[in-house]
Amino acid sequence: MVIGGGIAGIQAALDLADMGVKVHLVERRPAIGGVMAQLDKTFPTNDCSI
Amino acid sequence: MLDAGRHPNIDILAYSEVESVSGEAGNFTAKVRKKARFVKDDVCNACGDCAAKCPRKAPDEFDMKLRDRRAIYLYFAQGIPAVMTIDKNNCTYFEKGKCRLCERVCQKKAIDFEQKDEILELKVGAVIVATGLDVFDPTPMTHFGYGRIKNVITGLEYERLINATGPTGGHLYRPSDKKLAKRVAYLQCIGSRDMNYCKYCCTVGCMYAIKDAMLAREHDPEAVSYIFHTDFRNVGKWFQEYEIKGRELYGINYVRGRVAEVQQDKDGNPVVWYEDTRKREVKSMTFDLVVLATAAMPAKKSNELANILGIELDENEFVKLSAEAPTDTSRPGIFACGFCNGPCDIPEAVTQAGAAAMKAGELVLPEVVVGTK
Repeated sequence: MVIGGGIAGIQAALDLADMGVKVHLVERRPAIGGVMAQLDKTFPTNDCSI
Repeated sequence: MLDAGRHPNIDILAYSEVESVSGEAGNFTAKVRKKARFVKDDVCNACGDCAAKCPRKAPDEFDMKLRDRRAIYLYFAQGIPAVMTIDKNNCTYFEKGKCRLCERVCQKKAIDFEQKDEILELKVGAVIVATGLDVFDPTPMTHFGYGRIKNVITGLEYERLINATGPTGGHLYRPSDKKLAKRVAYLQCIGSRDMNYCKYCCTVGCMYAIKDAMLAREHDPEAVSYIFHTDFRNVGKWFQEYEIKGRELYGINYVRGRVAEVQQDKDGNPVVWYEDTRKREVKSMTFDLVVLATAAMPAKKSNELANILGIELDENEFVKLSAEAPTDTSRPGIFACGFCNGPCDIPEAVTQAGAAAMKAGELVLPEVVVGTK
């Protein structure tokens, strides 16, 4: 079980899922994405955050 | 995000909170409250017909309350799961017992006002805590004028303004008169590295201020940016180069000196008073908009969650970790990654996530790690 669906939680869930582990990703807000989804671009590459 | 939504091994429980975790490493039982959305998540296709008709407005938290959403809403356009949610505390039906307009317009019949919170019992081998951050509210620091001077905003509010999907469609219209902001000041270390608020460095403020100023210039070639910094802490791969690129390619002005006060002139322009530490002079400069690089703190309910999980936190309410195992919490089988562990940027959060996943994997898939498979 991963608690928190921001970038860290999503990445941890994906890494575990790729290992073949069943993961429950729990997020208290209506959708996953966390703070990162609110950002326009990310440093240092100015890539889109979503 | 999309990958997580599509992965057959990931079950996303959004709008849900952990209530208890019992058992031990390898064999935990977690109780999770799946809060009622009053929308059937297996039926709703997030077409938005309901929100278009919903008469009730409420501040949009995703857009930092810079615009209103409806009582029935999609948290954000690309959000996963793509399901509408009814905000019970702002819904006319829940308040007055009348309305149900959304129910009438929904062609999929996805609205369910009778929906109740569900308690799910999950059997899990390991738990990863990744609860992230909340930004510091700079209102108590009255000398910066946040909440009093309209054209003083926080970094996260700026992100929403400059975002093409945000409330202004990506145009930097300042709050007071919706005029395009040309001269923008970025004030660093607001609430961070401050003994009265957050003692620690947020680690991301310097870099995101440079990014914000770059974006302003990309949107508007006439944009003028000043970053008032304590000292630049651009520690990381390509970070120093980023600062130089900001100065040389984007014309960002860097001023070393912490700002003492922000005042407002008669036209609503913020006036920044600062000490130019290179020239040892107190000066002022007038801007169209001031952006505060506010401190970032562990998410608000971290303390509550730590009690539920039985894990220790440190004096700043970050997860207490050991130096030998930087993703292990004080309870075996529970790991942590990202900003809840301590200030970090996205690349570091991703690295920690990989480490925490590996530790959790070790516990639930022991045969893979020892190489017997």
